[in-house]
Amino acid sequence: MNCEELIRYLSDYIDNGLSESLRADAEEHLATCHNCHVVLDTTRQTIVLYKEANREGIPVDRRSALFGQLQKALAARRAARGPS
Amino acid sequence: MTSPSPSIESLRAGDPQALESLFQLHSDRVYRLALGLLRERQAAEDVVQETFLSAMTHLDRFEGRSSLGTWLYRVAYNASLTRLRERPTEPLPPDEPEAGEPPLPRALVEWDLTPEEMLMDSEARRHLDAAIAALPASLRAAFILRDVEELSTLETADTLGISEGAVKVRLHRARLALREHLAEYFGKRAARKEGEK
Repeated sequence: MNCEELIRYLSDYIDNGLSESLRADAEEHLATCHNCHVVLDTTRQTIVLYKEANREGIPVDRRSALFGQLQKALAARRAARGPS
Repeated sequence: MTSPSPSIESLRAGDPQALESLFQLHSDRVYRLALGLLRERQAAEDVVQETFLSAMTHLDRFEGRSSLGTWLYRVAYNASLTRLRERPTEPLPPDEPEAGEPPLPRALVEWDLTPEEMLMDSEARRHLDAAIAALPASLRAAFILRDVEELSTLETADTLGISEGAVKVRLHRARLALREHLAEYFGKRAARKEGEK
């Protein structure tokens, strides 16, 4: 496997989606190619970074307000439709 | 996940507890997807509101082919895309983002910060935000759903209305583009530090 092929298969390699023989080829290349090893390592870091950076959900002070608005809006829609 | 997923029957019957369970279970994910795409808290909150309101009003359209969660993400994704299209400066998804090979990585330096340090560093954090903001929405969505929300390839495909193969291609392109953007920043940062010595 050369660098170009390694990059093509990089995501499948990270996601354990390669066949056994392709995975072995990729590992053989990675063992000797510093640049591809850096790309693999920094791609994995990129994924971890965004996972960690995007953990926040709806702000606590907005959560119940949003749910309240939703309930009101649904009630208004039901009222507009009239009794079923 | 703390509360069980409510049944579609209880939601159709208007059970208030079922609605609350649905909101508890999926609103944060819907919010993160919208925030990731729109990069604005108020807009993301509006999408949460619109998503649940639309889903509850159109429960009869839910056919049960995917999970309720996937259905909600699909509604949220479409609501977010509609808002993005209204922004004149937003890079809209190219017609065929899967075509051709992505460019080969050019920035090949090792990074001098761990992920934990990078999240605490305001300059690095700005580059993190800029990198994802520069991605076309179609790649951003695939990356958020697969790598941030950890949906499966199939669930992501269902949400985005594309094939599993297309999800893999978009995810690969997104990862490489984000890595390249950050690696360029780290390269400049290392050169700057070297110059300060």
